Amino acid sequence: MLDPVEFLQPNRRLFIDTNVFMDTSPHRSGGLKRLFERGQTTILANSNPVVVPTKVVGELTKQSQIDPSGESEERAEAIRKAGAALTFLESASRVGLVRKDLGDDTNPYADDLFLQLFERFAGTYEMCLLTHDITIKLRIRLLAHRLAKRLLVGVLTKDGDLEVDADESLFDRGHRKYARHAARVADGTGNFKDESEVAVLRPLLDEFGKAFGLKTPAVKPGPRTARPSAPSASTTSRQVATPAAPVNPFSARARLKPSDTTLAFSALPSEGERVEWASADKTGTLVLGALLGEGGEGAVYDGDRSTVVKIFDKDHLTRHRKEKIELLVSRNLRTKGLCIPTAVVRNSAGEFVGYVMPKASGREFQRTIFNKRKFEREFPNWKKADLVDICISFLEKVQYLHSMNVILGDINPKNLMVDEKKNVFIIDADSWQLEGYPCPVGTPMFTSPAMLGKTYSDDLRTMEDELFAVATMLFMIVMTGQFPYIRTGTDGDMVQLIKEGNFAFQYENRNNKDQPEGDWKYMWSHIHKPVKDLFWHTFHREGKRYKKRPTATEWLEAFKAYKSYLRNSRMSFDPMSNDVYPIRNKAFKQDTPIQDCPTCGRKDAIAGIWNDDNEEYFVPRQCNKCRDQQPGRTATPRQVSVPCRDCGLSFPKSQLRYGRCPSCAQKDDERQARSKTLDPTRLCARCQKPYITYGNVEWHQRNGRAVPTTHKPSGGRYPAGCVPTPAPATRGRATTTKQSVQPQTGFWSRLWKWLTGN
Amino acid sequence: MARLYIGADDLVDNPTPRVPVSLCLDTSSSMNGSPIQELVRGVNLFYDAIDEDDDAHDSAEINIVEFNSSAGLVHDFASIERLQRVSSLTANGMTAMGAGVNLALDTLEKRKATYSGSGVLYYQPWLVLMTDGAPTDNIDTAVRRVVDLVEAKKLTVFPIGIGSGADMKTLARFSPNRPPLRLDGLKFKEFFEWLSRSVARVSRSTPGDTVKLDLEGLAGWAEL
Repeated sequence: MLDPVEFLQPNRRLFIDTNVFMDTSPHRSGGLKRLFERGQTTILANSNPVVVPTKVVGELTKQSQIDPSGESEERAEAIRKAGAALTFLESASRVGLVRKDLGDDTNPYADDLFLQLFERFAGTYEMCLLTHDITIKLRIRLLAHRLAKRLLVGVLTKDGDLEVDADESLFDRGHRKYARHAARVADGTGNFKDESEVAVLRPLLDEFGKAFGLKTPAVKPGPRTARPSAPSASTTSRQVATPAAPVNPFSARARLKPSDTTLAFSALPSEGERVEWASADKTGTLVLGALLGEGGEGAVYDGDRSTVVKIFDKDHLTRHRKEKIELLVSRNLRTKGLCIPTAVVRNSAGEFVGYVMPKASGREFQRTIFNKRKFEREFPNWKKADLVDICISFLEKVQYLHSMNVILGDINPKNLMVDEKKNVFIIDADSWQLEGYPCPVGTPMFTSPAMLGKTYSDDLRTMEDELFAVATMLFMIVMTGQFPYIRTGTDGDMVQLIKEGNFAFQYENRNNKDQPEGDWKYMWSHIHKPVKDLFWHTFHREGKRYKKRPTATEWLEAFKAYKSYLRNSRMSFDPMSNDVYPIRNKAFKQDTPIQDCPTCGRKDAIAGIWNDDNEEYFVPRQCNKCRDQQPGRTATPRQVSVPCRDCGLSFPKSQLRYGRCPSCAQKDDERQARSKTLDPTRLCARCQKPYITYGNVEWHQRNGRAVPTTHKPSGGRYPAGCVPTPAPATRGRATTTKQSVQPQTGFWSRLWKWLTGN
Repeated sequence: MARLYIGADDLVDNPTPRVPVSLCLDTSSSMNGSPIQELVRGVNLFYDAIDEDDDAHDSAEINIVEFNSSAGLVHDFASIERLQRVSSLTANGMTAMGAGVNLALDTLEKRKATYSGSGVLYYQPWLVLMTDGAPTDNIDTAVRRVVDLVEAKKLTVFPIGIGSGADMKTLARFSPNRPPLRLDGLKFKEFFEWLSRSVARVSRSTPGDTVKLDLEGLAGWAEL
């Protein structure tokens, strides 16, 4: 047992996760109150408030808004607790006991935020996180081990002491949690959260076991399987009746199999002929139905209502394909949207010739969402949110396959289909890479720089190679078929474009002169910032994720956040952000004027453009489309010379950035950077620390106002870090003593109310 | 001007990589009569086939250069949707093949520059050279340009001889990688069908991929 107050010392930090505030367990009740009672003097003395990140506050807010009627008693209690916690946090942050300004709402996931913080500041502080979540506990324990730093995770007892799991017990609990989720995934009752936990926990537990030298415990799904298993129809079919043994993933470390060879056969069956099939647990015969199509590898025939049969041609009837399909069939994986082989097909001589798989519905991405003409014909009513749903549907499947150690390999817009309900189907399972059988095909556009130049059939792809293809596909879905590395000035060599890693879409203050022409830049400008960040960092050679690409789970979180962003009109204030083909840049801010175009009547087609000089919006008379069609304007007004707004010299328009020539633009950047820097010569009259930026000082001076002498109070309170120093500022002390005493009664009574529920 | 804009719109709105195809056609006096009529019919059939193919429709961009006593542009590059069918070609005069090929290469370079300048992906272009005779101008520059491009893998060239008068030795100079082919009789229809299938095949691949030509399909029109 440890004293959490120790983490309120100046060189240490204490964090609290959402679930602690919503904990309804009676044997821990009162722990938080004890913690704050015991810690308050230390917190205030060190100005080291307990950290409750903005994301946690956001999660509590979301929870507190749920209607508790109809929920279980325990759940309703937790929802009520979330609401009470918010009130508590509000008052606690005012008196400087809690800081909740850390991180912003754009962090898709509180877990990741904690992990980032702990990793980043491990060298600076000793840190402790209070949480009940086993996954984050495992992750932080592992991080502490890896960095050899003191980073703790635990929960509070009734008395406000810190309870920390032993490595072994944490490992056991992790395995039980994994088994619970995996069982649901396996029996088909699992949801996205189950799949996501499985995908995260499996490699995590592996790594944890190795790091701490622990043996995998024999685990049965623990007693927490509260969810009733789906009632199964009384049927004789073993497939339905067999419950849920968790499906074992394929081996993650299989070596490359020896080269593929073709198989001998006596005859290839065709339409109308009878073939034998064998699934994981049954056998039978079927007659090949109508020929549905002939591809590069063989022919596909109608099976029954929900299945089709693929018969390989002589060149593609190979040992690898046979063994791979047998493996897939034997695991009996069933997930909607994945056309995984369900039975091996043999000809009358008993030779392997193909396989049965579920029928996909919909049409290839290539023939639907990747082409404007076809998109507008197929799905005229779709919005950006629908494309985000497609990304989510795609990612859920990829995440599941990755959790099974299957690498899709040849991800391309002809292997993915989408139907009018936005379901994504992944076909061509026989090309997947698993158990050392490579994916023998590929598409250059989706091939990672490291894999380019290798032979698909002779090399195993790494997860990094796969994640390049996943990222490229996501970009192309959101950008309706546009390639991430498109830019002006290419000679059509796609391999070169991928290798050079020059992602040209406008990002923050970078030069954007290579962006492709047309409306693509507008489309890019409207993408949700966190998703944009991930794209940029993944594709640009200077990005942080260029060599360590985001996983399917990370993307899934980001796209789910994108989805809720589009649904929230306060966050996504520009109505055009939900258009598939926007015709202007995203509006600058919430108060940016947005108007319909008076010439063509296009809705929301005009947004005000912020002018830094006179600090107001300029609203164009016409939309971009009408402006471009004016007589005298051509599509590409090249080499028009205009004067630089700062130095007045003439420059080609394409070289200017916000109206400034390159050298003035650089000076402006430096000015901007300086204006955001705190002026070290000015100290707050209360806390004696720097408090105001150069830019803010200039603004006051420019507007003839007195420069403030203290931190800016908001709502009558000073920020948490602004604690009066006892030294020279006598006047300051007098006022602040009053402030820190007065609300305290209110705060403790509110705290009491929160803890007791009265 | 407004119409020009629509052209550009059309170019950049479509993210499909383009394959520019230049048809460089001999319209000297010897083509007069049924050869030129069959040629026009074949070209229009080519357009129809490209139009109907889901993939080629969005990728192919075609122009026609003719050469007789001089070289001229029949129409510039455009997507199939914007192409008028060719009503007729007039055959008369000499066979300025060198000028014809040079003009075709110039238009291809210009088109590539447009793609590059606007940020449109493309496949390396195709040049289809069809003649029933022998050049009456100097072809050395044209030959050198074609050979350089083919060797740098920046051009695929199809030199096709029409009838027994076609100078296959000259055509061979334009084709460093494979021997030129002679059209079997006036099988323009079969040739252009094959060409459209080949373009479709390319537009289903990714730029940079090596695309195998349908060599078996050659038998439909080529005299082997």
